[in-house]
Amino acid sequence: MIKDLFVPNAKPRPSVFLTMVACQVLFLLLLWLFYPLQLFPSLGEVVASFKELVTTQGLIQELWASLTTALGALGIATVLALLISYLTALPFFRPIAYAASKMRYLTLTGLTFFMALMLSSGHQVKLSVLVFGATVYLVTGMTSVILTTTQEEMDHARTLGMSEWRSFYEVVVLGKLDEMLEVVRQNFAIIWTMITLVETLYQSEGGIGLLLYKQNRYLHLAGVVAIQIVILATGALQDYLFAFLRRMFFPYSELRAAK
Amino acid sequence: MTDFSYKEPILTLRDISMQFGGEVILRDISLDVLNVVRPGLSQGQVVGFYGRSGIGKSVLCRIIAGLLPPTTGTVLVADPARPVCPGDVGFVQQRYPLFDHRTLLDNLLVAAGRKHAPAEAKARVEDFLTRFDLAQHRRKYPAQLSGGQRQRAAIAQQLLCSEHLIILDEPFSGLDIAMIDEVKKIILEVTALDELNTVVIVSHDLATTTALSDTLWLLGPERDAAGQCLAGATISKQHQYNLAQMGLAWQPGIQARPEFVQLIEHLKDEIRKT
Repeated sequence: MIKDLFVPNAKPRPSVFLTMVACQVLFLLLLWLFYPLQLFPSLGEVVASFKELVTTQGLIQELWASLTTALGALGIATVLALLISYLTALPFFRPIAYAASKMRYLTLTGLTFFMALMLSSGHQVKLSVLVFGATVYLVTGMTSVILTTTQEEMDHARTLGMSEWRSFYEVVVLGKLDEMLEVVRQNFAIIWTMITLVETLYQSEGGIGLLLYKQNRYLHLAGVVAIQIVILATGALQDYLFAFLRRMFFPYSELRAAK
Repeated sequence: MTDFSYKEPILTLRDISMQFGGEVILRDISLDVLNVVRPGLSQGQVVGFYGRSGIGKSVLCRIIAGLLPPTTGTVLVADPARPVCPGDVGFVQQRYPLFDHRTLLDNLLVAAGRKHAPAEAKARVEDFLTRFDLAQHRRKYPAQLSGGQRQRAAIAQQLLCSEHLIILDEPFSGLDIAMIDEVKKIILEVTALDELNTVVIVSHDLATTTALSDTLWLLGPERDAAGQCLAGATISKQHQYNLAQMGLAWQPGIQARPEFVQLIEHLKDEIRKT
């Protein structure tokens, strides 16, 4: 029923919900189509710009280059962040996790300069900045997940005769893997924010960030919007993929969520 | 009166005291749970454990389960007696924790695997799934189990890897009459599994718990000669009730008897005083 759409915590039928979403998207497109803002490019201009970007400026190839860099950085950052977060079980390593978490306040420009002094190739600088930036955010999220572990959960493992390490492995490592994947999904967006900036600083390898920078520089607003929409769509697809992986590898995860 | 005798100790608490930040929580608790033997019967026993909210019952349970070292004193289990270690005493907490990331079968296997070789662990788990009426739910995750099924699973998991002692924290809390009957049945089944099986029930439901119990403990503060409460709660000698010796154990329909009703009233008065 349509009135369910305006009742708190109601569960409208999937067909009703999907129709509502389609109507909202259509309304937005119609608004864009018939009432273009003076500063904002029209829908037709954006579509035309998108075609041009794909055919003449290699949008898809640049997107692929950025995506592979982003995925590589995310993979390394995830391993590093998991390691740092799990090591918080040992008091000796807690200051490292604390410091890593606080480093997310460092500015990217200053960091890039520092990395450039330390590393020789542009690619290495780009990757290390992305890895660093993602790791500090991931450590923050992952340590928060670990801190949700309750006395009851740990006691439960201990009453089964598990050692402290085995209890930690069972409750924190295995028991919270699904939540760690969620932290990775949420923080993947940070990499997209950083990659567009880093690619403008190191232009030799191209990437969608450089393409966006060029469109900005020559005031091709239609091109800017087209690229932003492509990044948005890629992000949405990533989110969907992560949700799929979570359902596939951690089927119990959805069961715990409030319905 | 039913014929019975006492043999070796199953659980011994000697001079247990506990302080947190200088505040005395528990003081000088000494007691024994002995193997009670009834001719022609192989049956374990039930200990009812009462006390006001916040008095320190959970702290004492964690000490008995080996999860929290007491400030002074020792907890001894098994025969020959040895200091308790985590895993010796099963402890089913109030919300029946299970590993949410494992299926019911895996939850039981991981527990059985702590104590038995893989083939034996599997056989014991199969046996427990049948005994606890959980066989058809083996592939389910804990979040898919009902409250009663979850409770049975949590008890089965603890029994699979602990010695003969198991503590149930508030097993009747928030249950309807039918569910309470089911839990009572489970407790009696657990005691029937082995002569040495001992279930400690922490509860505020005096009538239900007392009707099942052989022994009662009442945790509360003691008063000195001047009537002042001493710091820290204890289980004094007069607050350790041997229901078997009082002729109030192992009798069906005991709740209707006047002596039983009197005992419940007495317990309520004692708890109010603390």
